[in-house]
Amino acid sequence: MTRYDVAIIGTGPAGLEAALTVKARNKSVLLIGPADLSAKVRKAHTIQNYLGLPNVSGREMQEAFLKHLESSEIKITDEQAKNIYAMGDYFAIQTGGADAMYEAETLILATGLPQTKGLPGEDLFLGKGVSYCATCDAALYRGKKAAVVGYAPKEEDEANFLAELAGEVLYFPQYAGEVRTVPAVKVIREKPVEILGDRSVRALKTDGGEYEADGIFILRETIAPDKLVPGLEIEADRVKVTPQTETNIPGCFAAGDIAGPPYQYIKAAGQGNAAALAAVRYLAAKRKQ
Amino acid sequence: MVKVIREADFGQAEECALAVLDFSATWCGPCKMLAPVLEKLSEEMKGKAEFFKVDVDENPNLAVRFAIQSIPALIFLKNGKEVGREIGFKPEAALRSTLESFLG
Repeated sequence: MTRYDVAIIGTGPAGLEAALTVKARNKSVLLIGPADLSAKVRKAHTIQNYLGLPNVSGREMQEAFLKHLESSEIKITDEQAKNIYAMGDYFAIQTGGADAMYEAETLILATGLPQTKGLPGEDLFLGKGVSYCATCDAALYRGKKAAVVGYAPKEEDEANFLAELAGEVLYFPQYAGEVRTVPAVKVIREKPVEILGDRSVRALKTDGGEYEADGIFILRETIAPDKLVPGLEIEADRVKVTPQTETNIPGCFAAGDIAGPPYQYIKAAGQGNAAALAAVRYLAAKRKQ
Repeated sequence: MVKVIREADFGQAEECALAVLDFSATWCGPCKMLAPVLEKLSEEMKGKAEFFKVDVDENPNLAVRFAIQSIPALIFLKNGKEVGREIGFKPEAALRSTLESFLG
């Protein structure tokens, strides 16, 4: 397996600037995130204070950023990091099933802020029936009842995958538009409000009723950083970083909104640059040993 | 060394002063990642803690008995009694300090 010098998670200004800087320093880079860039970029109305791009719309910014990446020959791996393991010497990044793994010596987290707050009961039952990755945990629900809460159409694939193993799959789309799931998946257009259970998950409560389930899969665009990287230190929902963007895990850096305020596009880009340089320094020091 | 254990010989784990049960499965990615970490810790803690791997597919009754809902799940037994559990992958340093707290 290729082991990259730097893996960057997130395709907002922090992740993109980090990728450009790593590449300019002649290190290999793996950039993981939506290929059409983070929603916060492409959906922005107008950004007034981005240097060199006055009163730019999200669409224009997206176009400018993609052009810059292309000219530096940086490719985006259009996947979502589901789990990241600090193995000591390197990081293992899982994007789907057991085989969808990448390796890198250093890691830069730039996934932005979670769009939604966790549901009541979500933390309590994580690992006791609540999961963020259907392809990772599906086999535990063979013949059982699973509820899937999907925040984007791409999560329909996860529900379909689950339906091959689980006894029953309920799908709760949290977006408008058509849902294309296999017939075995029951689609329910209701909003989840709470996860119920005692020792483990018992049911998903929605604004329309209560649905019994052995497992509840919550599939969002952004996974909370301490869930994504087990062992990562968090402070007030943000990754705790030093001014040099270091986290508590050696070789792991964080930049952009995930690393705390101010929540500004230009600050994110600047911090992405700092994180890339910190990662390059870390690699140099490690290889000297 | 991490020993593979089955329902039939589970008594072995219950007799240990400190046993670490690694509930896992062949198809589980995080379990695969955790395995080398546990292997290393088991060598470090030789004589202080015994490490066992429980395949949840081959030992469904043990998985039910310990209410395993997500793997990897580590269960810590002191003389057969559960004293703690950790769900999901944990970095080496974090697990070492958890184990040391049970030895303390």
